Amino acid sequence: MILNLIEKFALGKYGKWFGLICRLTLGGVLFAAGWLKIFTPAKSQMAVRAYEVLPIGLANFLGIFLPWFEVGLGVLLILGIGVKLSALLGGALMVVFIAAISQAWARGLSIDCGCFGGGGTVEPGETKYLSEILRDIGLALMGLYLFRYPLTRFAVEKLTKTERE
Amino acid sequence: MATSSSGGDKFTRNLVIAMVALVVVVGAGFSYFGSKGSTTAAIPSSVSKDDGYGIVFNGDVPNVPTIDIYEDFQCPVCARFEAINGITLEKAIEEKKAKVVYHVLSFLGTESILAANASACASDQDKFLAFHKAFYANQPAENAGAINADFLKSIGAAIGITSPEFATCVDNGGYSDWVKNVAEAGAKANVNSTPTVFVNGKEIDRNTEYFNAEAFAKAIAG
Repeated sequence: MILNLIEKFALGKYGKWFGLICRLTLGGVLFAAGWLKIFTPAKSQMAVRAYEVLPIGLANFLGIFLPWFEVGLGVLLILGIGVKLSALLGGALMVVFIAAISQAWARGLSIDCGCFGGGGTVEPGETKYLSEILRDIGLALMGLYLFRYPLTRFAVEKLTKTERE
Repeated sequence: MATSSSGGDKFTRNLVIAMVALVVVVGAGFSYFGSKGSTTAAIPSSVSKDDGYGIVFNGDVPNVPTIDIYEDFQCPVCARFEAINGITLEKAIEEKKAKVVYHVLSFLGTESILAANASACASDQDKFLAFHKAFYANQPAENAGAINADFLKSIGAAIGITSPEFATCVDNGGYSDWVKNVAEAGAKANVNSTPTVFVNGKEIDRNTEYFNAEAFAKAIAG
């Protein structure tokens, strides 16, 4: 039922405009989040380690790689190139973030998500898990929408015939 | 909608995606190798490689607890920590009641690297603790451009360092490779916050023992 309504909206008059909003929001957030961390790799590594999920070596690798990856996805989404793929990857990244933040919350860790720089252990009263998760859920849904309806306003690329169908 | 669905479009798109992917990989690679330490870095005389490249006090005193302190000169909480526990630590060092290792991390940015380098320069003048104390007492705002060579030399002058080597060392950033080594060792030691204090390899209680002088003194007694 709801899916039908969404379909109707997406293929309707405002669907592509909404797609543009999703692209700029998800892309803008990813770009900003990555950009703010690129120049402080040691801090970004610290933020990943603080989740206490991954082995230290892998966490340190991701701490350096993720900001660049986010910037790359952000650029593609903002330009509107490879929207289907970058929306899928961006949305999947949000799902991973949601899982990571949730487990930190459930285990009673006191960390900052480190999403826009910062990160690491914080005072117990200073965690913002709920708002971080809600934000990422919204972004993940936008990624999903773009994956399903990648044709949007003001995108650089024009989809190939097969993709339009 | 546009009628064009030619191969050209697709080629251009894939080219752009490939270029972005390349920039991501190359950028991450540069970032990775740029932050890597070096085994040939110049290190201050008080530094022990086996202690995570930290600046060591009382390394030769037997049967005392080892206290590892991870800080970033720009971290405001570290300044608070120093104000509360600095005297306790100095006393423990002076009375040879503990081996104390200072790890000067630099994750807050370039100004942290400058400060860490200068602290190593001060260490060569046997003035690390005095520098450390004076710096925190005058800690400028984070990454505001205030921490530069002039500022760091003025801290040195304030604690009575007159030697020209100190000034040269601050100006040249001669220990900046070592600063990377310290950061890398801190990352491997899973330090996720500053300040972080380990006593004999175990972190003390962040909720109760960091910012209470009495509890801290007890915790570092081993």
